[in-house]
Amino acid sequence: MGDSTTQVHTSCHGKNLSRREVLRLGGALALGGGVAGTLKWHHQRESGSRASVFIAQASGYDDDLVRVISTALAELGIGDAEIKGKRILLKPNLVETSPGQRHINTHPSIVVAVAEVFRRLGAADIVVAEGQGHRRDSLLVLEESGMDRALAGAHLPFVDLNHADFAEVRNRGTETGFSTLFIPKPVLSADWVVSLPKLKTHHWAGMTCAMKNLFGIMPGLVYGWPKNPLHRAGIAQSIVDINTTVPTSLSIVDGIVGMEGDGPIMGYPKPTGCVIIGRNATAVDATCARIMGFDPNGITYLAAASGRLGPVREENITQRGAGVASVLTPYDLVDAPHLRNVRAPRVAPETA
Amino acid sequence: MNRMGTSWQSELISRLAGAAAPTGGWGYHPGGIESSEPTALAVLALSAHEEHAALCARGLSWLASIQNDDGGVPVVPAVRAPCWPTGLCLLAWVKSQTPAGGAHDVPTRSATSWLLHTQGTPIPPDTRLVGHDTTLIGWSWVADTHSWVEPTAVALLALRGVGQQEHARVREGVRLLVDRALADGGWNYGNTRVLDNTLRPFPAPTGIALASLAGEPENACVRAAIRYLHDALHEVRSPMSLAWGLIGLSAWNARPSSSDKWLAESAVSSASRKQNCLNDALLLLAGDLETAGALLSEVG
Repeated sequence: MGDSTTQVHTSCHGKNLSRREVLRLGGALALGGGVAGTLKWHHQRESGSRASVFIAQASGYDDDLVRVISTALAELGIGDAEIKGKRILLKPNLVETSPGQRHINTHPSIVVAVAEVFRRLGAADIVVAEGQGHRRDSLLVLEESGMDRALAGAHLPFVDLNHADFAEVRNRGTETGFSTLFIPKPVLSADWVVSLPKLKTHHWAGMTCAMKNLFGIMPGLVYGWPKNPLHRAGIAQSIVDINTTVPTSLSIVDGIVGMEGDGPIMGYPKPTGCVIIGRNATAVDATCARIMGFDPNGITYLAAASGRLGPVREENITQRGAGVASVLTPYDLVDAPHLRNVRAPRVAPETA
Repeated sequence: MNRMGTSWQSELISRLAGAAAPTGGWGYHPGGIESSEPTALAVLALSAHEEHAALCARGLSWLASIQNDDGGVPVVPAVRAPCWPTGLCLLAWVKSQTPAGGAHDVPTRSATSWLLHTQGTPIPPDTRLVGHDTTLIGWSWVADTHSWVEPTAVALLALRGVGQQEHARVREGVRLLVDRALADGGWNYGNTRVLDNTLRPFPAPTGIALASLAGEPENACVRAAIRYLHDALHEVRSPMSLAWGLIGLSAWNARPSSSDKWLAESAVSSASRKQNCLNDALLLLAGDLETAGALLSEVG
């Protein structure tokens, strides 16, 4: 990592902390799923950091999602001139399965629709890839989630990132203390990595969306099941470093039915009726936080990413399509001390 | 099941043997980077077949060639860690039915030492966060991290295989697995409860844990895990989960009567996918009780 003793704009209960102290606290609190902690970065300067995020309303998975996503991409200025000949890696959130619990994972219809949009734009190659954090048997998750059938029907290959060949690359982030990260070669060889997360709460991080979704590119062969070294380094710190090292080109969030409560696995379905799309994952996640009724400034990883990886402040994000207010759906969140900063002040808990 | 096997087994044996890299190891996929886990399991699966004795001997030597000085065997040669496949490599060295099996006494001793000196990191208990005893010490996937189910179970299998079943580390590992068992049966990666919710079991870690506990007195968590697998495996044809599930049930003489049919269906299905050497080896091990016994032969 960089200068680990440098005082950074970091506070915990109003007390300034060195980066080393931040990292130590994050690691000590981590266990399996890890704890986000109550650390809160002050905002970095966001001057010059601006992004557009498109919110598309969609009432269900039977909607014409190809049209919805095509429209959004056009609004964001993404067309065939940019996509033609590109190798696209789609990274859904495919965590685990339980009968009747389809809201755990990115819906197959979203994945297939996104692939179709990229095909129409002339992509040379499209693969779907995931490396589950809890389950080594990705094939079983694919089968039980219905993703296997959907991908076969759309002639889309799947790559198991947990067991793919990998390479050691320099960690371009500075938060975890890792000098290098191990990244699967299919991710490194893609021209565009597209994050396709599910809109969900996360019982340690507050929420999981486009940025946290990239935990799934980290190979289990090196990081284990769960990916414990990343948790010990701190979830927020790891999110920032992974996204710094492997920036996504686009994020498309399945917010048609999200998950509230004890996410990312044990929560309840939350119909939200939207798909959130943007080139900048930080801006997309900040927008998603607002849609969920959360304060993005209270999400540790977003506070850490602010200004460095993208904008978090509302005034720096150009909302296109539907407005946040029109799809605002306050999400229930587990009642835990480490998440007390997440709830947006304007959303009273009793109404969430 | 006889040693000659069925047609799916014959095809799988040929396919797996044909996937060996020129250097002697196997990758997870043909042409992929040779890796210690698929190599160890491929050797175990093929070692009963005399026509592949030379192939297995080369595999064993390849594993020895990438072993670190401290006895750990890394996942791939290009890195020195993590070394969680070391237990499987140890099993391959001591259990493979090849003349070369006995030629690896030094790596065997070294790997045994590594396993006995490597441990997961205990964490101060906090029952508000998780349901398991975080102070029990087993084995981790990665150095300096917590103990989890699969690496602990693999370490137990391996250490039993070299006669260390009464070692204090093995006894604590057994206690850890019993503690990590889910109340309604089975295991997952190793969390029983997080915050207020009990988590779900998965077939593969349940099978590995059951196999590693073979030889222990049958207890409530074993019986519950057997019930879970009997219910779950009806619907499972994914090779990794089905194979480990059946190996675990076999260890407790609880193999369902439809096992061979399920394995055949799984093999046929996997033949239509990109070859996965780890899955091929696991299916062969689960399909041949005598070969699978290589994982379990010192128990019971």
